[in-house]
Order: sequence, then structure tokens, then C-alpha cells
Amino acid sequence: MRGLLVLTVAGGSVAHATLTPMVSVRGVTPDLPLIMVILLALRRGPEFGCLAGFVTGLLQDTAGGGLIGVQALTKAIIGFGIGFAGERLRVSQPLVQVSGLVVLTILEGLARFSLLQIFRFPAPFGELMMYVVLPQALFNGFVGAAVVLSLAASQVLRERFQGQPS
Amino acid sequence: MKIQKLLLLVSLVGVCLLLLTLQTRGYGSAAGDLLTMVTAPVQTGLARASRATFGLWATYLDWKTVRAENHRLREEVQELRVRALRVSDTDVENQRLRRLLGLQEKLPLTTLSGEIIGREWGGWIRSLTVNRGRGDNIPRLSAVISPDGLVGRIVDVRPGASIVQVLTDPASTVGAHVLRTRTPGIVEGDPRGTLRFKFMARDGASIQNGDVLVTAGQGGLFPRGIPIGTVRAIDNRGAALFHYAELTPAVDYARVDEVLLVTGDTQRDLTAFFPADG
Repeated sequence: MRGLLVLTVAGGSVAHATLTPMVSVRGVTPDLPLIMVILLALRRGPEFGCLAGFVTGLLQDTAGGGLIGVQALTKAIIGFGIGFAGERLRVSQPLVQVSGLVVLTILEGLARFSLLQIFRFPAPFGELMMYVVLPQALFNGFVGAAVVLSLAASQVLRERFQGQPS
Repeated sequence: MKIQKLLLLVSLVGVCLLLLTLQTRGYGSAAGDLLTMVTAPVQTGLARASRATFGLWATYLDWKTVRAENHRLREEVQELRVRALRVSDTDVENQRLRRLLGLQEKLPLTTLSGEIIGREWGGWIRSLTVNRGRGDNIPRLSAVISPDGLVGRIVDVRPGASIVQVLTDPASTVGAHVLRTRTPGIVEGDPRGTLRFKFMARDGASIQNGDVLVTAGQGGLFPRGIPIGTVRAIDNRGAALFHYAELTPAVDYARVDEVLLVTGDTQRDLTAFFPADG
């Protein structure tokens, strides 16, 4: 199970760099690894979320050709934070998860921007927020909603099949 | 446990910050190269898989489009066929009506055109119903003709329609003669739906297959010279007084759709107005 999760994290990150351009809408793509990290952290806790965030971020940095460590750092912190919050707060409602996803995408964008500023890779804040971070946050919200609903549906089906006498 | 978690976070953050610092100071390429060595083959494989998947999807979309187009074209072909059939049907009808009109115009007779609206084709009676009746002043026993020849006679006039006794009706008899030899006789219908020519043996020695029979014009019912049929076979009855010839009717009674009803004078010879070969 753990191996499968590692494979999911690693494959998902590389798949993001390779496949997401094909699902882009007007140049905006969803941050699939971020969605994956958040959902996994909510279900598996802060340790797993932190590790998953670090690995996916690192792989994204490498695959994307950016400054290695930026996304690893932001996603590791988000994974840890969400895992930590998930253990203490009620975040099982799909609406909370989806809106949280949107907010977290914005926060991750801000963190990335800050890191780039710190490590002297200047980027225009306004344009970045307007054309990259906010649209991606909305896209993530839609994709996250679809994923959350699919997971809920599969859970219901699984329970139904398990409940049936053989 | 909590400290362990925090330690993990701190160490990972530390690694990231170290990586970032190293990169900004120009030492980061080795780590990047190492990671790329791991991720590049996976990326290549995924790119190929995605290309294949999207290729398959594109093929499916093409197939779907082609299928839809095929369906549309089939419907179009079907519609065009129906339209072509209608056109050809209209064309045939047009030709028929032109022939009838041509005949009506050139015949030196008073005629009225009519459309066949019913057929009685059992063995007992062979008749047609034409859409001209009492209101059209159709006299009973009027001759009914088509551009190919004689169809029969009106035997019953009703309001709005008349009944035509066809030559093949078993009760039908018409005075006729062979066009080539002038051999006189009577054309009768028979229950099998065919025509036969009854003639005196002594007069008909020279009748041959293919001879054309036309109305004799005696009795005043039918004008003279309207084709009835052609001799198909001669039934030689030896020493009998009458011999018979089987005829192929000049008119296909089962398919005739428009006819002319001769309402006026019938004392004219019409031989010249019909094809000489019957």
C-alpha cells in the first residue's frame, strides 16, 4: 500500500509536467500534485502529507525545470499543515475540501512568490496572481470537486458491494 | 511523536532551503542533473503513452465523425433515391400524358380523357373504373382507347365514374379484321385473361403470327382501325368451320392509367393514327 502511494506521488508529479498542458484551458492548468497532496494529507496525516508534498514538489521542480526546492518546500509545508489540521478540524465535508483547495492554491502561490523573491528570482506579483495563481486556484477547485465526488461515489459503491451477500 | 513530525518537517524544509541556497550560489546543477536522470525516462514513457492515448482518442473522434458523416450521407442517398424515383415516375407519367394528349389532338373524333381509378381483375369479370361518369355525358357502350390501341367499352355509367369492360373480359366480343389480309372475325376475351380471334377457316388460311388485328368498325360502336393485338399463335382446328388465333393485346390493360373515351361520331377509319405494327 505504501509502495502504491509512493508510486502515485511520484507518477502524479511527473504526469503533471507531461500531461497537464493537454488539459489546459486558455493556458491555465490545474496543479494536480497539489490536489493530490492535500487530499492525501487529509486522509493520511501530517507526516505523509509532508513527505508527499516534498517528493511531488521536488519532482515538479525537476520536471518543470524551475528552481529546485521551491515547490518541494511549499508543498511539504502545505502537506504538513493540512494533515495537521485534518486531525483536529472537521474537514470531511466536500464543500470545505474544495474551498480549502482554492484557498491553499492561492497560499501556495504566495509562498512560491515569496521564495522566489527571497532567492532573487523576481516575478511580477500582480500579473502572476491575476493570470496564474487565481485562475489555477479556480481550476484546482473544479478538479478537486470532481475528484472528491468521484472518491465519495467510489466509497459508496464499495460499501454497497461489500454489504451484498455473496 | 509530535516532535518526530516536526523534525521531519524541519529537516525537509532545511533540505529545500539548502537546495535553493546552493542553486543561487551556482552549485545546484549536480542535484538537478541527478533528479533529471531519474525523472526523464519516466517522463519519456508517459509522453509516449499520452501521445498514444490521445492518438487513439483522435482516431476514435475521427471514426465517430466519419460514422456520423456516413449516416448522414446514407440518409442523403436514400432521400435522393426517393427523389429520383419520384422524378422518374413523374417523367413516365408526363410521357404517357403527352402521348394521350397527342392522340387526342390528332384523332378526328370527339374524345374525353379519363383516369383509371379502379381495376377488377378476377377471372369472372375484367373491368376498369374510369373517373368520368354521368356528369360528363358519357354514353353507354362508348369505345375506350389508349395510344396503344383499344381498351374496351363503357358498360355502366355511374355518377362520377364509369365501368369499362376490358377486351379480355370473357363476355367481351369485338368485330375485327387482320390488317394485312382483311380477314374478318371476332375478338373474344377468355377466362384466362387472354384474347383470341375467331375466324372462318376458309378466310383465314393466310393469317400468320405477328399479324396485326384492328377493329372492323362495323356495328357503329368502335371506329375502324384501332389496334387490338397481334397474332401470337394459330389454333388450326382442321376441318372445323371456325379457327382461332391467340392474340397478344396491343394494350397492357393491367398497367394502363389514362384513356380516351370516344363520345362522338365513330364512323371514321383510324388506322392511320395508330402504329402500323399494333
